[in-house]
Amino acid sequence: MSQSLLTVRDLRVTYHTAGGPVPALRGVSLELEKGGSLGLAGESGCGKSTLALAILRLLPVETDVEGEIILDGHDVLNLNPGGLRAVRWTSGAIVFQGALHALNPVQTVGDQIAEPMLVHETVGSDKEARVRTESLLGRVGLTGNRADSYPHQLSGGQRQRVLIAMALACDPLLLIADEPTTALDLMVQAQVLALLSELKRERDLALMFITHDLSVLTYACDQLAVMYAGRIVEEGPGWEIFEDASHPYTRGLAAAFPTIGDMSSRLAPSGLGGDPPTPGNLPPGCPFHPRCPLGRDECRLEEPELRVSGAGRRAACILV
Amino acid sequence: MTSVALQRRKATALRVWTQFRLSRQGMVGLGILAVFVLMAVAAPLLADVRELNPVYARSQGNPLWGPPGEFPPLGTDYLRRSVWAQFVWGSRVSLFVGLAATVLTILIGSVIGIVSGFVGGRLDAGLMRITEWFLVIPFLPLAIVLAAVLGRSVWNIIFVIGVTSWPSTARLLRAQVLTVKQRLFVDRARSLGAGGWHIVSRHILPNVSGLILANATLAVPISILTETTLSFLGLGDPGAASWGKTLEEAFSNGAMIINAWWYFVPAGLGILAVVLAFTLIGRTLEEIANPRLSGER
Amino acid sequence: MHPGVSPLVEVDDLHVHFGVARAVDGASLRVMPGEVLALVGESGSGKTTLIRAIQGLQKPTSGTIQIDGVTQAVIHDPTVQTVFQDPTGALNPRQTIYEIVAEGLRIKKDSSDERVKVENALARAGLRPPERFFQRYPHEISGGQRQRVVIAGAMIMEPRLLLADEPVASLDASIRGEILALMRQLVDDHGLAILVVTHDLGLAWNIADRVAVMYLGRILETGPTEEILDKPRHPYTRALLSVVPETREMEQQILKGEIPDLTNMPTGCRFHPRCPLLQSATLSEEISARCVADDPGPVPLDSISAAACWPVMASQR
Repeated sequence: MSQSLLTVRDLRVTYHTAGGPVPALRGVSLELEKGGSLGLAGESGCGKSTLALAILRLLPVETDVEGEIILDGHDVLNLNPGGLRAVRWTSGAIVFQGALHALNPVQTVGDQIAEPMLVHETVGSDKEARVRTESLLGRVGLTGNRADSYPHQLSGGQRQRVLIAMALACDPLLLIADEPTTALDLMVQAQVLALLSELKRERDLALMFITHDLSVLTYACDQLAVMYAGRIVEEGPGWEIFEDASHPYTRGLAAAFPTIGDMSSRLAPSGLGGDPPTPGNLPPGCPFHPRCPLGRDECRLEEPELRVSGAGRRAACILV
Repeated sequence: MTSVALQRRKATALRVWTQFRLSRQGMVGLGILAVFVLMAVAAPLLADVRELNPVYARSQGNPLWGPPGEFPPLGTDYLRRSVWAQFVWGSRVSLFVGLAATVLTILIGSVIGIVSGFVGGRLDAGLMRITEWFLVIPFLPLAIVLAAVLGRSVWNIIFVIGVTSWPSTARLLRAQVLTVKQRLFVDRARSLGAGGWHIVSRHILPNVSGLILANATLAVPISILTETTLSFLGLGDPGAASWGKTLEEAFSNGAMIINAWWYFVPAGLGILAVVLAFTLIGRTLEEIANPRLSGER
Repeated sequence: MHPGVSPLVEVDDLHVHFGVARAVDGASLRVMPGEVLALVGESGSGKTTLIRAIQGLQKPTSGTIQIDGVTQAVIHDPTVQTVFQDPTGALNPRQTIYEIVAEGLRIKKDSSDERVKVENALARAGLRPPERFFQRYPHEISGGQRQRVVIAGAMIMEPRLLLADEPVASLDASIRGEILALMRQLVDDHGLAILVVTHDLGLAWNIADRVAVMYLGRILETGPTEEILDKPRHPYTRALLSVVPETREMEQQILKGEIPDLTNMPTGCRFHPRCPLLQSATLSEEISARCVADDPGPVPLDSISAAACWPVMASQR
């Protein structure tokens, strides 16, 4: 029986902004086993990036965080600073979107990859760090001499690979990838996804993949969780959810990515009306009901909890 | 102007004012400035202009170097003239020159900066060389030469300050214009067929106006100080009372030696207060303008 | 083709070179009135430069662009309007929605019935009731609504061709469908032609009548959407399709490396260093040699359906 590497229980995150408190996450629970893969799908305002940052306690200090996060046996929310530093990057690491501002423009790429190794003292000397850096670069598909390049000298796809190498620097058990392929070309996207899959297999890495592109997730992940307005509204096995979603939002989201060759979507783009809600301004009851094609009066009364909608599947909708 | 545009302008002005009111530093600055502006405007009511004339002063039997106790409220100077009258009437020149010179500086600097940044190419290169030339020349010798050549009058002082202070404004604006020029909505305007004038007036100017205003407000104290310096050096208008002139006269007539503090302290404090006021207002406006320049998306 | 109907846009052997970098290197294409053409390509393919040349924002090095039979010499032609990739950046934060939509009319100095025209344009773009948006600023409305404002601002000029550069790439996935449906509706209602640049093949499936695939400054393959996306012939198109998550029946062909530098074009067929067909060693020696040495040239202007690929052309004989 595989153990749970990451357990999140009833996580609630509220930001304090100039305009008042903003509830970004309103009770999220999930579990990820060692070597497993979970995809988190959602659009702007759903809280997925907040979740990624919360797991390694990277949210701003004034943010209210409640609930429980257990990573590799550590109670992340209650660790002291020393313990937290030890956990970050060694138990879990984040791969961000490879835009230019994710990397320090005045440091070489090699220095940035070596940095976590030196900070966490997983290597004995600078020389050792260099050797490991070059080997990591090779593993992600770049040549070792790239270590001396600066971020602006690399293409978008290459920068993304550097970020992956950096995340692997201390051999973490969990890799959280936050929109790693957005803004990349189709072919480069495929390369990066393939790389992540290989790495996962090689190192028995647990992968948490966060993106708004539902179709990408069905490739890379066994389990899928769809987020809306700070909560998970559907979860279950990836392919099943994409093919036959229980929650109307998931269905709408999946329909936005037509299957090529399927005549029902030929010249018939499909999507949802309205806009994703802003976190501080949610409608009463089910937050999706104003946009829901199946919405009823009862939907306005109470926000539905996740209920079983199939084998190993749950969805937060009263129609399930 | 269409009613839509007018309504919009009113709303913007209201918004800026509401934010301004919340800033303590801004309101303090505004308060100080208001006092001095009122003083300058109401000068005839506050002090008799004849008191500035040494012949009149003598005929009134004013004391020589009379301290405030003897001749309220601020005593007399080496020519028996009322220091209070000089203070009140001097504020007019200092404020007027400060504002007028700033207007000239901003006008020249903005036009050159915007044209340079927008047109680019050889014109930009040429204008920037000229700008750098002006920046490199030491200010004081240039001002002295110009004042000597043009003659000593209030208008010439305004001209001198304007002509020597515009380069930093020009550079600042050019940089901002270069940034705005890259933005997608300028491309959009171009693809709609907009010519240079439309783009500059509708898209570039509104997005740099906040910077211009903030820069102007901070340039006023510099102009005032420059006028003070020039007057102190004896380059100012001999007929016009100004705080700088007061300081110059105090200095060259030994007020420091005999400790006639009532002569130079008020002028000095006046300059200090007005410069402080404009600096506070300018900083507040900059704070308000900046989030709008980058954050209003 | 459509007999008797002349093309709305004709790009003939267009070259746009930036010094040694050949961004567009002999591209030709045609868009008929009322047709939606999807120009598909990755970054470095030259698609953005091509669009800018048609918009009049980029002077070509050689070749011609004809809109409605008239060679493009003027900077802009109101017949051609643009929908931008970043609707937030495309709107001046200091202008109200009304001013933004009316801008094109004001530039043309056409102020008759301005208010009515703005109202109609906003309504047609799905922003109802239009008056509610007049006084608003871009930051007060959502991303999808901003894109509708951009579309309204373009449609108010009554164009015959709409150029759309990744029109939904920066929008949330769930509202893509609506914006795409709006664009398709404009085609049906007004006989508008659309040239949409995208790397999203699903988008092409959703709204395009024809597809042209671009690589390193040239069109490699063109044809009706069903043909190109269902039965692609050029190995590059096949590889692209194979990695699109929405087409799972194909075996993935992930190409190695990235698009080569524009200043360092490969000899022979530009795609040959990355070509899976060439690497599969299933081609005859003669054809393989041609791929490495001879440039198949760009797809010709009057092709209804063609692919610039030696093996494909050989099998057609």
